[in-house]
Amino acid sequence: MEARVMRKFKLHTDTNASDRPAGSQEPTKDQIARYKDFSSVNHRYDRITKRPKKPLYRDPKLLLLLLIIGIVFLLIFLEKEI
Amino acid sequence: MYFPVKRTILFNRRKAAATSEAEQIRRAQQDHRHFGVLYEAYFEQIYRFVFKRLGGDEAVAGDLSQQTFIKAMANLAKYEDRGLPFSAWLYRIAQNEVNMFFRAQKKQYYVEINDRQLSGLLEESTGESTFSQSDLEQLITIINNLEETQVDIIELRFFQGLSFKEIADIYNITEANAKMRLYRLLEKIKHQWKQES
Repeated sequence: MEARVMRKFKLHTDTNASDRPAGSQEPTKDQIARYKDFSSVNHRYDRITKRPKKPLYRDPKLLLLLLIIGIVFLLIFLEKEI
Repeated sequence: MYFPVKRTILFNRRKAAATSEAEQIRRAQQDHRHFGVLYEAYFEQIYRFVFKRLGGDEAVAGDLSQQTFIKAMANLAKYEDRGLPFSAWLYRIAQNEVNMFFRAQKKQYYVEINDRQLSGLLEESTGESTFSQSDLEQLITIINNLEETQVDIIELRFFQGLSFKEIADIYNITEANAKMRLYRLLEKIKHQWKQES
């Protein structure tokens, strides 16, 4: 079944010509310039498409390194205890 | 002798413009940083299109326009030149973005339109050139009860003022098909108009 949108039209009843509904007006050059920003589009694109960082548990080398550091600290601690 | 030379220059200019756009697309497909040229060329018309569809909400129009170009960048590798203007492809993405925005709304999103925008539609669908306030309200009720794709065609033709060729390019159909769809839609509106009158 065809989707019905949540958008509905309504009649702009104010007959004052200077107060036309915004939708019937063209955006101004200033409005267009305000939202024209390729660097932000590029940045957002990079952020979306950039490969996510590898989680720690998926990187065996880094995990091993942290494990060794942990063991060294544990041994130092135990040696002091004795 | 002068005339054919002039025609050749014009033809070459058009061909050169088309080639350069195809070349820009090809470059952007290889490296997305080259997409900036296409963005510069088409941002304004896409922003205008979205702005009018939203009834003048400039901030949302800005956001959806940016989203349109991000999607275009992400899918540019899949883009194939089938003889349609590149802008038609962008319009299609923008159209989907706006429709997705409307669907995501929790409550009704109202777009205001005026008698000037409705008069063309009213005249073509009912054949009446003079109309009252209640006629316009009746027409709006009929439009609001149409299906999404039907409202889109009405909007593109009468509120956005696009030509049949442009509508056909957006939907990737022939111009005759676009005319036929609108004609059937106007007939439907006319039928409902008569029923309610």
